[in-house]
Amino acid sequence: MLLRLISISTAVAMTIGISTHAVGDTTPEDAFDYRKAIMTTLRGHLVAASMTMRGLVDDHGQIANHARSIANSTRELHNIFQEGSNIVDSESLPAIWEEPEDFAVAISKVQEAADAFVAAADSGDSATIGRAFRDLGGSCRGCHDEFRVAQN
Amino acid sequence: MTSSALRRTEKIAQVTLAAAILLAAVASLAQDDIVERGKYLLFAGGCISCHTEDVDDAVPLAGGRAMESPFGTFYSPNITPDPETGIGNWSDDDFVNAFWEGISPRGEHYFPAFPYTSYTGVSRDDLLAMKAHLFSLESVRKKSRKHDLAWYMSTRLAAGAWKELNFNGARFVPDPTRDDTWNRGAYLVRHLGHCGECHTPRSNLGVRQTDQELAGSQLGDESVPNITQHRVDGIGRWSISDIEYFLDIGMLPDGDFSGSSMGDVIEDNTSKLTPGDRLAIASYLKSVPSREDP
Repeated sequence: MLLRLISISTAVAMTIGISTHAVGDTTPEDAFDYRKAIMTTLRGHLVAASMTMRGLVDDHGQIANHARSIANSTRELHNIFQEGSNIVDSESLPAIWEEPEDFAVAISKVQEAADAFVAAADSGDSATIGRAFRDLGGSCRGCHDEFRVAQN
Repeated sequence: MTSSALRRTEKIAQVTLAAAILLAAVASLAQDDIVERGKYLLFAGGCISCHTEDVDDAVPLAGGRAMESPFGTFYSPNITPDPETGIGNWSDDDFVNAFWEGISPRGEHYFPAFPYTSYTGVSRDDLLAMKAHLFSLESVRKKSRKHDLAWYMSTRLAAGAWKELNFNGARFVPDPTRDDTWNRGAYLVRHLGHCGECHTPRSNLGVRQTDQELAGSQLGDESVPNITQHRVDGIGRWSISDIEYFLDIGMLPDGDFSGSSMGDVIEDNTSKLTPGDRLAIASYLKSVPSREDP
């Protein structure tokens, strides 16, 4: 029993230690690179799903998997905009940190749209899938419109 | 009058009445068609994006959107059918002249922030369909805001002088060597959709550089991309399908989604087009020569 207690306490302490390390020591560069990695992952699955939906490649039955990967990545959006990570190459607008409530709403809309895309993909109905993907795109555009540097 | 003559007269009257009712119904249906076509053309012409204020509860087409330029800030006017603050008193010719010649019903010259330099190519039929739709909408009483311009642009005479030097009104003429799809795309890109107003670079006097058509430009803080067939600076690597898809939902081939002003264009304009018109635009853009960024 004592051994078990020590073991749990150690695990908790390690977890706290790792968390503290992650929050305290993540450099702006690492935070930025991680954000970029998540966004790149998102884009990759968006392209793969859209190419399948447009019939540019054979449908290997992967749309639902791409949808889940997209939805999983959107879960991380709340965590990847660390204060101070708006470094040289960043396209993030200061509004992300100046208007955090509005930004949280915009991100939540993306998450909801991504979840709806998963449900649509599971339905297997191509018209429903197309509409859900369009809505997902609209939520991405909405966030980019308000919180990202205008793109060339 | 004999009874048979009376019956014949009654019959003629009945037939005439039925024909009149039928004609009125056909005319009404035709007018409905024109109004509906006008609605579509308003989307294609980007009218809603510019004539609606950029706030959440804005009334569509009641004006007030700010458009920054090197000459100052232009504010789009109210184009609902309110007779005093909108365009409710405009005749068909007034409406057509505004688009073809850049001139108001009172004979004043418009600044080219209203893109008559592109709209001049739009057909009279299309313009009158757009007017029919606008006049079918609810009037909104909202006075148009005065432009906030540099001193040398504070009079409409400056707009007149600019036109004298830089503007030649002319309708679109299809190219007989190209197919219907390409010609429809040319009409939409060059005239009704006025893509070049943002995507073509301008001289210091604000004149579009036609030899640099669609090579990209700078609008205030926003860089407007090169959409020629240049493979690095432009969209030369995009397929027709990529362009159609972008115009439909705003996704770039790399999975990014357009925000900023093109996001508005997709939302209020290109996503509302028929697949045939998006294909036409894509076909035309695939024919635009490759040009480097200016």
